[in-house]
Amino acid sequence: MSRDLRLGPIAAAFAGVALVSCAAPGAPPASAGRTLVVFAAASLAGPFDQIARDFERQQPGLSVQLGFGPSNGLATQILEGAPVDVFASASPRPMDAVAAGPGVSGRADMATNALVVVAPADDPGAVESLADLARPGLRLVVAAEGVPAGDYARQVLDAAGIRPAAEANVVSNEVDVRGVLQKVLAGEADAGLVYRTDVTPAVASRLAVVEVPEAHRAVAVYPIGVVGGAPEPELARAFVAHVLGPGQAALRAAGLRPPP
Amino acid sequence: MRRRRPAPPALVAVAVVGMAFVALPLAGLLARAPWGRAAELVASGAVLTALRLSLVVSSAAAVLALVLGLPIAWLLARADFPGRAVVRALVLLPVVLPPVVGGVGLLAALGRRGLVGAALEGMGIRLAFTTAGAVLAATFVSLPLVVLAAEAGLRALDPRLEDAAATLGASPWYTLRRVTLPLLRPQVGAGLVLAWARALGEFGATITFAGNLRGRTQTLPLAVYELLQTDPDGAIAVSLVLVGLSVGVLVALRGRWLALG
Repeated sequence: MSRDLRLGPIAAAFAGVALVSCAAPGAPPASAGRTLVVFAAASLAGPFDQIARDFERQQPGLSVQLGFGPSNGLATQILEGAPVDVFASASPRPMDAVAAGPGVSGRADMATNALVVVAPADDPGAVESLADLARPGLRLVVAAEGVPAGDYARQVLDAAGIRPAAEANVVSNEVDVRGVLQKVLAGEADAGLVYRTDVTPAVASRLAVVEVPEAHRAVAVYPIGVVGGAPEPELARAFVAHVLGPGQAALRAAGLRPPP
Repeated sequence: MRRRRPAPPALVAVAVVGMAFVALPLAGLLARAPWGRAAELVASGAVLTALRLSLVVSSAAAVLALVLGLPIAWLLARADFPGRAVVRALVLLPVVLPPVVGGVGLLAALGRRGLVGAALEGMGIRLAFTTAGAVLAATFVSLPLVVLAAEAGLRALDPRLEDAAATLGASPWYTLRRVTLPLLRPQVGAGLVLAWARALGEFGATITFAGNLRGRTQTLPLAVYELLQTDPDGAIAVSLVLVGLSVGVLVALRGRWLALG
C-alpha cells in the first residue's frame, strides 16, 4: 500500500464522538424525578402527546416517556419484558395478549375509531363511495390481515358485500396503517382504508375522504390499562384515570369517538 | 503460501467476543423457533411463493447491480474528472440511507407522480407495486457493494498488465474484456455475492416502493414481517429459511468466487 492508513486517530475520533454524545444532555437523568412509561398505538400519537404534557404539569417532577407503534408490535415488546406502566391499544386483541402475559389491571375502553376511505386529493380513481372500491382496475391499498386496521378493513368490505371484488384490486397489504396512508399520499394508490384519526390536519388537504356508511362500519375499540408489574403502578392508575377523564377532550379533538 | 504466525491471545479473545456478538442472536432464534411446526410452515403456499420470488428478485437485482456498478467502479478508479469524491459519496449513499427513505426516493422518482415515473406512466410502464419495482428497490441498496468491491479491485490491479496489452496493439475495449475483467474476477465475484445477499434481505425500500402483495412483491423478508404480526414464532421459523439459504450459498461460493478462504 502506498498510503498509510492511520486507523488509530480515526477510531479515537469516533469513540470521542460516541462518549460526548452519551454525556450530552438530551434524555433527562433518571434521578431527576420519576418516570412513567406509556406504550400507545401509533394512531394515538397526537392526542397522547398532549395528554402526557397535561399530566406532567399536574405531577411536578414526573416525566412521561411515550412509545408509539403498531399495537401488536408494542404488545410483543411488553411480553418480551419491556418495563412499561401503561398500554393503550388500537384493538382488544393486543391487550388480551398482554393480559395473558404480565397481566393488565384497571382495563377500560377509552375511545373508538372508525375507518374511512381516502384517495389522493385529485382522485385519480374517481372514488366517490365505498362501492367504488370494487370497480375493476382500481388500485387499492389496505393493511395486512392480522393488523387491526387490516382486519377492520376486511370487515367493512365484507359488510358491504364487495370483499372479493375489492380484494382483487388490492395492490399492497401494508404492515401498518401508516403504510396505507403513505401510499395514498404519494399518489401511488387510488384509494386506501385508514382510521379517521389518520386524516390529521397536516395531511387533510392532500386527501379526499369518503365516509363508510353507518351500516357497514367496523368500530375499532381502544382499550387502556395498567401493565402487570408496572414500575410505577400508582402513577399508572392516575394516568389511566386522567385519560378516561380530562384526557377525553384531546381524544375527541383527534377524531376519536367516545367509548361504547 | 504465507507462513502462518501464532495469533496474539488478546486478538483471539476480542475476535471470540466479536463472533459471539454475531452468533448469539442467531442462537436465540434457533432456540426460539417452533421446530415442530417448521416443516408445515415452510411448506405453506405463502412461504414457498415468497421464497421463489425472493430468489428471482435478489438474483435479478445482483445482476443489474453488476451491470450498472462495474462501469461506475471503472470511472471512479480510472477516470480523472472533477467532483469524483462527490460522485463516490452519492453512489455509496444507499449504504447509509435508511432503506425506507430510499423507497420514498424511488417513489418520488419512479412513482406515477414521480420525476421520471410520470413520463413512464404515459408510456404505460408502471414500476410501483410490481415485481420489477421490487427488483429496482433491491438493486438500489445493493449497487454500492458492487462498486466498492470492484473499485478496490481495480485500484489494486497492476497497471503494467493493461499497459502491456495496449503496447501489443489491443484496443481499450479489448483490454478491458480480455485483461482487466478476468483479473478482477475475484473482486467482482465478491461484489456480486454481497449484492445478492443484501438484496435477499432487503425490506424497507421494497415495502415502501413496491408494496406487499403475495406472489408479486412479497419477498421472504416481507412475508416474515407480515407473519410477525400474527404468529411471531412462525416468523422466526420462516426467517431461518432465509438465514439457511444465504449461509448455504455463501459457504458454497467460498473460494470459488471470493479471493478469500
